[in-house]
Amino acid sequence: MESPDYDTFEVDPHPGMTVLSALFQIQEKYDDSLAFRYSCRGAVCGTCAMLINKVPRLACRSQVRDLLKDKVPETVADEDISMAGEDIYWNPEEEVLVEPLPHLPVIRDLVVDMELFFQYYRFVEPTFRPAGPDPEKERLMDPGAVKELGVYTNCILCGACHAACPVVGENPEYLGPAALAKLYRFHIDPREAEGDSRLEKGDIPNGWWACESYGDCYQVCPRNVPPIIAIRQAINQLNKRK
Amino acid sequence: MIHQYDVILIGGGLTGLRAALQIKDAGLDGAVISKVHPLRSHSVAAQGGMNASLGNVEGEGGVKDSWQNHAYDTVKGSDYLADQDAVELMCREAPRTVIELEHMGTVWSRLENGKIAQRPFGGAGFPRTCYAADRTGHNALHTLYENVVGREIPVYEEFYLTSLVIDEGRCVGCTALEIVTGEVHGFLARAVLLATGGFGRIYDRSTNALINTGEGASLALEAGAQLKDMEFVQFHPTTLYGTNILITEGARGEGGILLNKDGERFMEGYAPRTRDLAARDVISRAMEQEIAEGRAYPGGYLYLDLRHLGPDKIKERLPGIRQIAMDFAGVDPIEEKIPVQPGQHYSMGGVDVDMGGATSIPGLYAAGECACISVHGANRLGGNSLLETVVFGRLVADKIIEDVSSINFTEEEPIKTAMINMDIKIGDILSREEGEHLFQIREAMTHTMSQGFGILREKQEMQEGLQEIKKLQKQLPRVSLQNSKRELNQALVRFLELEGMLLLSEAVARSAIAREESRGSHFRTDYPERDDINFLKHTLIDLKDDEMCVSYKPVKLGMFEPEERVY
Repeated sequence: MESPDYDTFEVDPHPGMTVLSALFQIQEKYDDSLAFRYSCRGAVCGTCAMLINKVPRLACRSQVRDLLKDKVPETVADEDISMAGEDIYWNPEEEVLVEPLPHLPVIRDLVVDMELFFQYYRFVEPTFRPAGPDPEKERLMDPGAVKELGVYTNCILCGACHAACPVVGENPEYLGPAALAKLYRFHIDPREAEGDSRLEKGDIPNGWWACESYGDCYQVCPRNVPPIIAIRQAINQLNKRK
Repeated sequence: MIHQYDVILIGGGLTGLRAALQIKDAGLDGAVISKVHPLRSHSVAAQGGMNASLGNVEGEGGVKDSWQNHAYDTVKGSDYLADQDAVELMCREAPRTVIELEHMGTVWSRLENGKIAQRPFGGAGFPRTCYAADRTGHNALHTLYENVVGREIPVYEEFYLTSLVIDEGRCVGCTALEIVTGEVHGFLARAVLLATGGFGRIYDRSTNALINTGEGASLALEAGAQLKDMEFVQFHPTTLYGTNILITEGARGEGGILLNKDGERFMEGYAPRTRDLAARDVISRAMEQEIAEGRAYPGGYLYLDLRHLGPDKIKERLPGIRQIAMDFAGVDPIEEKIPVQPGQHYSMGGVDVDMGGATSIPGLYAAGECACISVHGANRLGGNSLLETVVFGRLVADKIIEDVSSINFTEEEPIKTAMINMDIKIGDILSREEGEHLFQIREAMTHTMSQGFGILREKQEMQEGLQEIKKLQKQLPRVSLQNSKRELNQALVRFLELEGMLLLSEAVARSAIAREESRGSHFRTDYPERDDINFLKHTLIDLKDDEMCVSYKPVKLGMFEPEERVY
């Protein structure tokens, strides 16, 4: 792969300005060829994840002011993240470094090809499989079970965890935290048939077992989804049954 | 490249995906075309819920809800402009639709007894709104996409619709730009469904996703279909100052109050009885007046105060709102007031369709926010938009399945011609060396629309606005882009979006000028009363020889006679 170019643009910041609005300012004022994905601009659609100051985050949720104040958050291990991006110096007092998400091929500028990410998503067969035929009305669900499921249905598939995971960086065939969290979401859905089919789907070397418990997935998730917990619980359950 | 499918579904939101499942289950060959990955569609941002008279929660005095009650609230909310046969259909189908999503895997919030939870919403007489916390759209869209993946339905992601192809009066397919490669593709189909969403981005302050530019509606108009009731644009009272991200009505439901610059609870003066919980249009108008009369902060915002609710209630009941305020305004509502202003929220108008979702062009259908069937009339109730998307995604697909049984594929020739024409057009846009600045024109358009066609409207200002829009349209052919590459040229996409938005802006302008009354979201300071004698009718817009003309057609009444709308 050819080495990437870096450009520096001066933006006119306003209070609350996000990285996404800064990118729009660049596109509209200086360089309309700058490519980046966007949609909701409200941190719910998962489109604009990118590497910002070496941490995968949503551009629409990251305020420029905050990025200048603090540097790389201590919650994310520097060495893990720097493996993912290019080595480059920037001045965190005055500059914000914006790069495409690591671990996925770059199409141009900040746009990456998400195909591999969604290939793993499809691999886990993320379609509801109810235990029995549909009743006339809704299936009943315990509010507590809904709360537990909500932790995982909250995932917006932005890819930040995939980009932050050091294991994905080493092993591109690892299904990755997002796909496994999705698999776990169906595993714990009380409306699905009891059994091990969901657990078994991830019972492969590049599934549950490949996780090395770095926990970066949870740290960078903009929705507080904890793939690491899902994966550890799946492994515990598999161990018990073996 | 030319692709061939029985049915092409344009748009990957709730409507498009629900229709795609129906088409597939009928054994037909369908494909979805979407300008973004389907999970990035604006449906995903819907917070509140989906109305259905399940009756899981009883109303006051133990009364059970019914579809008739739902229909009444919807028609009254519409200021009697909704077509009552369409409303009846939607409200009858609502319970089944919520349950169908549950059967597909959607995780709904639940009552203690395990049934789907329901809560009260604005303008509704019963706790009717089914919800999934404050991310109902997210849960529903992910479920539908998961089912699309399960059925291996082809999705053309990041394909931008560039034209509808009409041959001998029939829609036979479309062309679309593959954004990443810059290649123009042709799609030959026996039927085409538009499910492209609303056009909120013609305004400068909108809760809509940035992608809501309405190209389905503008291309339908260009192809010869009619637009209906375009003047009815909903403005939500509380959008976050700066980004206009939605702050749900629930914040006021929990006791939040609106304050002006002088610290006054100004709603007491406008709606003494319901105050901060008056109807959306009433509050938006009051806020607009406060701003106009200098009782707002510089830049035009007021405050939503939640502090008196205390940290516990805010954290427990409004965690999402707190997060939004902190993320996007740097304000913690526990300690500070939230700066808010009214903003565009929903497009009631759209492509004119009949009860089956058919436009006036055979083979072309529309459903969801891009269509006007019309279930929302002059003002939509909260919780009815998600409902509309899924109900009519299914029903219109059923109609298509029925209709295409007698339709054969046509020749590829008209598609080929359309592809060549689009290729020439794009080449021309990209080859202009110097000229007008794209983003300045867009900014002038959104500013003009907000100034002239916002919450309070008046003839003179609207006519000036229309002149400005016409002027901007004339500048478009002279726009030049710096980026002349075909591949991943977002400036090109935004040029094409702007072209359509300027057409829709004109349609809104002409419809609003012609409607000399106030009804629902359309408020004329020069005609402040509703006028059922002259204007209990739908506005239609046609495009003939590049000229837009306004005409009307009757509203379908039946169940409920128009009466004064008092809450």
